[in-house]
Amino acid sequence: MTDPVLVARHLRRELPGDPPPVLVADADLAVMPGRFTAIVGPSGCGKSSLLYLLGLIDRPTGGELLFDGRDLAQMSGDERAAIRLEHFGFVFQFHFLLPEFTALENVMLPLRRLGRLSSREVEARANSLLADVGLAEKGWKLPEKLSGGERQRVAIARALANNPRLVLGDEPTGNLDSVNSARVVDMFRALAHEQGRAVVCVTHDMGIADLADIRVSMLDGRVIEVREQNPPS
Amino acid sequence: MLARFSLLVHIASRHLIVRRRQTLVATSGVAVGVGFFLAVSALMVGSQNDFVRQLIDVAPHIIISDELRSPPPQPGIAAYPGGAVQLHGYRIRNEVRGLKDWQRILSSVNAIPGAIGSPSLSGAVTLRLGGRDEPLAIVGIEPGLEAKVSSISDKLRAGHLDDLERVQGGVIIGEELAQRLGRGMGDIVPATAANGTTRSLRIVALVKKGNSQLGSSSGYMLLREAQSLLGRPFIINRIGVKLSDPYAAETVAAGLEARYRYKAQSWQERSADFLSLLLTRNVIMYTVVSAILLVASFGIYTAVSNSVADKRRDIAILRSMGFSQGDLQLVFVLEGMALAVIGILLGWALGFGLMTILGSLEFSIGGEIQHMPLDRSPRQYAIAAAASLAAGVLAAWLPARKASRVDPVDILRGAV
Repeated sequence: MTDPVLVARHLRRELPGDPPPVLVADADLAVMPGRFTAIVGPSGCGKSSLLYLLGLIDRPTGGELLFDGRDLAQMSGDERAAIRLEHFGFVFQFHFLLPEFTALENVMLPLRRLGRLSSREVEARANSLLADVGLAEKGWKLPEKLSGGERQRVAIARALANNPRLVLGDEPTGNLDSVNSARVVDMFRALAHEQGRAVVCVTHDMGIADLADIRVSMLDGRVIEVREQNPPS
Repeated sequence: MLARFSLLVHIASRHLIVRRRQTLVATSGVAVGVGFFLAVSALMVGSQNDFVRQLIDVAPHIIISDELRSPPPQPGIAAYPGGAVQLHGYRIRNEVRGLKDWQRILSSVNAIPGAIGSPSLSGAVTLRLGGRDEPLAIVGIEPGLEAKVSSISDKLRAGHLDDLERVQGGVIIGEELAQRLGRGMGDIVPATAANGTTRSLRIVALVKKGNSQLGSSSGYMLLREAQSLLGRPFIINRIGVKLSDPYAAETVAAGLEARYRYKAQSWQERSADFLSLLLTRNVIMYTVVSAILLVASFGIYTAVSNSVADKRRDIAILRSMGFSQGDLQLVFVLEGMALAVIGILLGWALGFGLMTILGSLEFSIGGEIQHMPLDRSPRQYAIAAAASLAAGVLAAWLPARKASRVDPVDILRGAV
């Protein structure tokens, strides 16, 4: 039995107010490597809020979030940023590529920030990642010259640049047509099943949720069900 | 560390390249500020240096005169220091004016490294010609020594200082006085001292017009002839001292005065009112030019502030990628620094051009073509650069701080 990458215990996120609006209420969740987890639920149920807590973009107001046994909730902003840089990769509904950088430069950004590879190695890895998402010939293009599906694939390549242990997606197919959606979902499944990464994806699309290994259902900020759909062999 | 810095510079430079118009406006603001700072400060500091140089060079750096700042203690008090002595109705002894034991004082002065002293005697005579009386403050000098302690030789229109030694009864007077007397080079003018002694003096040199320090009613004679004319043989009442470092004059003067009790005035003390005016002028100048630079920094603030507002989404995505708050802050501070540095380089070129134009202007003063005194030293360039860079960094730091505090959650969830 492999250890979870991330463990949430009674994770809670409230906004200031009296009474405080609750975005996430006492969520318990274990994110496993090699597994594709889908978080589903109606709009405003707290799916994205939970994802941002798991991805260290937002800070919980209660509970524990353990990564390698360390409680991330107690860490400073810079420590959390360092963990995001080294171990996490994000894909959003909108591609969020930096418009003044080419596709290749966008993929190189996290690698350059991490600073572990030489310039030549950084470029080679970024080119390899673009080739993996079928964009080997388009690395020199600015995002505005790419189609919606291509931009999202560049965003996936960028999310994988640092070889993350955890890949988080916030409606990554929400802005794509069915062909590109299917392609992105295939990539996410491959990241989990072939590369052993933990993949967590928020989605409205029940078709995608059905393809996930684990389905986490939420309602009114609470995790109401964690269902194993595709038990590990 | 270097890779991180290089990446942040890359991001900052892309932001600036994309926003060309704002970059151009901000750098132009800094360039104009720096350029005019250089031109104005070069002019102000140049004229100040010129003025101070004239103050320093026109007369000896220190003048030891036969005056005392406080009266000498009475013999009774000197004999019983600390005693309960009270003196009434005593008569003050009339002492012969002049520096006593001046040879010893002169030797002490010449023993100071880099110092040279020149003894002189000053007194009043009257030039009488054609029924007109012209007062003349005569200074008896040793030409060889005086030439070393003052710049009188450079101020002569005609003749030489040494001519005082070659011509019996030689005198040097100002051009204005000679004009008033209707006399010129080689002419004779009769002079009468207060004691009734009269001599015929021959004009051997003329001091150029416009030398207010020398005045239009001052003149130079040979020391021994002045002593004879004024009826004060072997007496001098002034020692002029020139130092290799003029700015040490105050210290050296204080030392000489403490030792010999005669009043030793440094050029700073003699020109205290002018120097105080210069200080006020400098404060005004630096206030005005700092305001120019401050206004220029507003351009940087606006450019960086707009950049932060435009790049909120990019800031959020970089934060989600793992860039720290410090990284984002540095990106925008670097933008401000880059704007400041480009502006400084352009401003240096503009300032150099303005100084060249100012330096080429010619003015006729006292019949001589003169140029504006400009201080083109690297110091002015360094001050302009340091002030602009500091203002630029501060102007960028405020919006950069705001950028680092952007909450990525709001932006990532609300972005379209």
